[in-house]
Amino acid sequence: MKLVGIVGTNSSESTNRRLLQYMKQHYSEQAEIEICEIDEIPVFDEPEDKTAPQAVQVLSDKIAASDGVIFATPEYDHSIPAVLKNAIEWLSYTTRPLINKPVMIIGASLGALGTSRAQAHLRQILEAPELKALIMPNVEYLLGRALEAFDDNGNMVYEDKAKELDNDFTEFLSFVKLTEKLTANSKFFEISKQFSWKQVANGEDM
Amino acid sequence: MKFIGIVGTNAKKSYNRMLLQFMQKHFASKAEIEILELKDVPMFNESKDQSDSPIIQEFNRKIEASDGVIIATPEHNHSIPAALKSIIEWLSFNLHPLDGKAVMIVGASYNIQGSSRAQLHLRQVLDAPGVNASVMPGSEFLLGKAQDAFDNKGDLKSQRTIDFLDSCFAKFMKFSDIIAQMNIPEDITYEPGTFKVTAVGHNGDLPMEVTLSDDRIEKIDIDTSSETQGIADVAFKRIPQQIIDGQTLNVDVVSGASITSRGVVDGVAKAVKMAGANPDILKKRKKSNGPNKQNVVEYQTDVVVVGAGGAGLTAAARTIQQGKKAIVLEKFPAIGGNTVRAGGPMNAADPEWQNKFEEITGERHTLKEISEIDEKTIDVEYLADFKALKKQINEYLKENEDKKAYLFDSKLLHRIQTYLGGKRTDLQGNKIYGQYDLVKELTDHALESVKWLEDIGVKFDKTQVTMPVGALWRRGHKPLGSQGFAFIEALKKYLESNDGQIMTDTAAKELIIEDGQVKGIIARSSDGKKIIVHAKAVVLASGGFGANTKMLKKYNTYWSNIDDNIKTTNSPAITGDGIRLGQSAGAELVGMGFSQMMPVSDPETGELFSGLQVPPQNFVMVNQKGKRFVNEYGSRDELTKAAIDNGSLFYLIADDAIKETAYNTSQAQIDKQVEQGTLYRDDTLEGLAKQVGMDPATFVKTINDYNSYVDAGEDPEFHKSAFDLKVEKAPFYATPRKPAVHHTMGGLKIDTDAHVINQDEKIIPGLYAAGEVAGGIHAGNRLGGNSLSDIFTFGRIAANNALKDMES
Ligand SMILES: Cc1cc2nc3c(=O)[nH]c(=O)nc-3n(C[C@H](O)[C@H](O)[C@H](O)COP(=O)(O)OP(=O)(O)OC[C@H]3O[C@@H](n4cnc5c(N)ncnc54)[C@H](O)[C@@H]3O)c2cc1C
Ligand SMILES: Cc1cc2nc3c(=O)[nH]c(=O)nc-3n(C[C@H](O)[C@H](O)[C@H](O)COP(=O)(O)O)c2cc1C
Repeated sequence: MKLVGIVGTNSSESTNRRLLQYMKQHYSEQAEIEICEIDEIPVFDEPEDKTAPQAVQVLSDKIAASDGVIFATPEYDHSIPAVLKNAIEWLSYTTRPLINKPVMIIGASLGALGTSRAQAHLRQILEAPELKALIMPNVEYLLGRALEAFDDNGNMVYEDKAKELDNDFTEFLSFVKLTEKLTANSKFFEISKQFSWKQVANGEDM
Repeated sequence: MKFIGIVGTNAKKSYNRMLLQFMQKHFASKAEIEILELKDVPMFNESKDQSDSPIIQEFNRKIEASDGVIIATPEHNHSIPAALKSIIEWLSFNLHPLDGKAVMIVGASYNIQGSSRAQLHLRQVLDAPGVNASVMPGSEFLLGKAQDAFDNKGDLKSQRTIDFLDSCFAKFMKFSDIIAQMNIPEDITYEPGTFKVTAVGHNGDLPMEVTLSDDRIEKIDIDTSSETQGIADVAFKRIPQQIIDGQTLNVDVVSGASITSRGVVDGVAKAVKMAGANPDILKKRKKSNGPNKQNVVEYQTDVVVVGAGGAGLTAAARTIQQGKKAIVLEKFPAIGGNTVRAGGPMNAADPEWQNKFEEITGERHTLKEISEIDEKTIDVEYLADFKALKKQINEYLKENEDKKAYLFDSKLLHRIQTYLGGKRTDLQGNKIYGQYDLVKELTDHALESVKWLEDIGVKFDKTQVTMPVGALWRRGHKPLGSQGFAFIEALKKYLESNDGQIMTDTAAKELIIEDGQVKGIIARSSDGKKIIVHAKAVVLASGGFGANTKMLKKYNTYWSNIDDNIKTTNSPAITGDGIRLGQSAGAELVGMGFSQMMPVSDPETGELFSGLQVPPQNFVMVNQKGKRFVNEYGSRDELTKAAIDNGSLFYLIADDAIKETAYNTSQAQIDKQVEQGTLYRDDTLEGLAKQVGMDPATFVKTINDYNSYVDAGEDPEFHKSAFDLKVEKAPFYATPRKPAVHHTMGGLKIDTDAHVINQDEKIIPGLYAAGEVAGGIHAGNRLGGNSLSDIFTFGRIAANNALKDMES
């Protein structure tokens, strides 16, 4: 199975990146996780021609070729970072590779409290009509005190948290398999690909 | 007011930009909205700090200087656009200009439900600790189907939408005012002295001495002789420095020495407590901005004015008109004081203009009554004027004996009404009335003030002449635009475009007095800076003391009781500071025991302009039993005393036609208040009575009686002196009201040149006072609309004489 792990920040130091690296290493037998960065993506400004810039196209292709996507998001001001939102806006405005793509949301934070608000926002965002990702339900993986969470070899020191992630990840793998059947020939897919907010406004509600 | 509008997207074409541009245009008479764009804002990156870049600095500076921020957000993928999120992240990282700032959220989008999800997310984001904005609750303005909403001039097409936007914006103006008041750092005063406490060291407690002056932490000495050198040493230097620089106990602990850091803070807190103050106030203050900040700033000017209300801004504008320099110090972040709250017109007899209007029922009767007053009851200074007035009135009555007449007025009538209206006796039997020379000065020059304001840029509505509540006569000049704000806005514009300097967040604390001559002011800014203004003259224009219940109670000789928790219509800044400053120079006080209650205030907030406030000829007041209890056309304290005797809470009754005469509201506001239960509405009088808990039969009889008095032109019960409309057209309204502190007539003793007079009846050189801070004019009761005349007249006089005295 091929998965894409998106680092939800452009910061050079990121515990979310560490968390994805841990998963990549730790679950290498079950899946191949490719870690993707979003810091090179230009600022989204609704260009008239709806073509994706190079960096967006690269990310989009990787997502399209994958079986599922893991978003690791920090929380900035009670929501996801602008830079992650920026990447998502490009994807929704141009290539729309997330439609019907299985998605797992995780988040690491420095404080004891995790990233639950950002994760909730991300869920709502990915449910928007031009994104329509298939988000794994019932799972909210929050890693608090993330700075001290990994030892020098990149292993997770909190046993309970490591176990929880094992469970959640296994569940995600079955979720990906399950959705393959669901989406094999979904008409929904085509509608979403063509969705435009102008249509909604014109009364062609969906 | 000045707001910043942020277009929540960087797209070239944006309906949210159009919405803000519409608001900018539509609300131009109420507030200035400057629109900021996100186009050049870089993507936020924690590892590449660009807080110092010009664009982010511009956002920071402009937001800090504003009275509030309006964010127009589109909805992108069920949330706010990344571009908007990015600027908020920059403004929550190293800079925090939104901290405590009033924010209004609006949004336009294609979707019918508009941008509701984005707005909700934005609320959560703005609520995050690093941002900490004060977002206006409720009033969600969503513009759905944005592509159809504007006409080709960029105006919103739907009147209903505009009405709703109006009501949201009106609420935001109020909201930002309240938020500004919340941001005023709480004042703290210490019992001065040096207090011995302890700090926590590595080897046990260390002796520490904290020296406090009246309002500052001056020195913190820690005896570290028993300590070993180390990291804690840094804490012993840095923490006291931060505390003194910022006058705050909200400090960054030194990493690696958190225990010793907190030990110092706790020690100082203990000293503050010993000095009789509450250290929590200091803990809530902002962190220090760093030690390299200049802590004392000095200025030199011709005239320094304390208080940026109507009187103060007038004095400054008049100074500048004559080619001299002026600085205005204002304690609050926003200017305007009580003057922006004034909802009524200003009084000035202008017969030429007033004569163009017809008399209304009852006015002739009022004149007759005045002319029939026994001359023996008129105080001797006023007697000659009274006789002259009587002559004027009799001529007028004779001339118009059998016909509908024009509206009469004269300077003399204004003077005599100010005198008669202010005449009172307090609980101890002391009689008071307006000092003749001051009342003459006021009534002689009030019309000049109207003309002068027109020159400054205030536009008046010449199409109607009104009578503010408690004014006794229709001689109100009503500015176009929103009442009190219209004056302040024009004065502010004038000062700004003529190099006048207004320093907000700066409270005057002390007069500089050298050899008996007042030579300036020492002030303190809310971030702890000491500001010294050297000047040739000081004008005190800090308003009265209506928001200082302690002071009211201390001087009160008029009301049988003033509750500790009495509400006020005043700005919370109106705490008598100028009176105390004057006293420090030996000023005499006059009439301090007399304060005015506003009988028709909101029972919950003290506010005046909620519910339906109509001209008094249309007032119908009933008590909680549903009965009238007073001549509604009476003076404020007659109404107040009657209200207090009837259990304080009473109701203003209106029908649909009377509603139309309300000057303070819109249908949207009315509907909202009815919904919130702060205003009652019913299709029948019986139903209305039931809603407010009165006996329906009693209430209906009261109203029927009232209507018959209007028909007859005479009120045998309470002798209401002027009527207009009956209560007959459904739906009917009841506005609950209660008296609240409204005005303080007493204050510094001044002469007709606005010099402050000391206890030996001598002029205090260099010191002038104008406006509510001064006493003597309104005596026991100020007429509605006379205050505005007072502040613009004596504000000018103070400046004129300050400059004249400077020459000699
Ligand atoms: C709700 C309301 C409605 C009113 N309606 C009318 C009306 O319709 N007609 C009428 O004639 N009158 C009305 N009045 C009365 C009138 O508004 C005031 O009496 C008048 O505005 C006072 O003006 P002022 O310039 O003396 O003081 P203010 O306008 O009150 O200004 C005083 C300023 O001084 C500042 N200040 C205080 N202490 C300090 C300090 N230590 N250092 C620096 N600054 C300081 C205050 O913050 C304030 O900005 C109304 C009053 C209220 C409260
Ligand atoms: C990337 C993108 C995502 C959008 N997502 C939403 C959405 O979640 N909900 C919505 O009501 N409209 C959405 N829209 C449509 C906007 O409402 C529409 O473009 C609107 O005009 C945005 O406001 P603006 O004109 O100020 O840019 C989206 C538009 C874009 C470009």
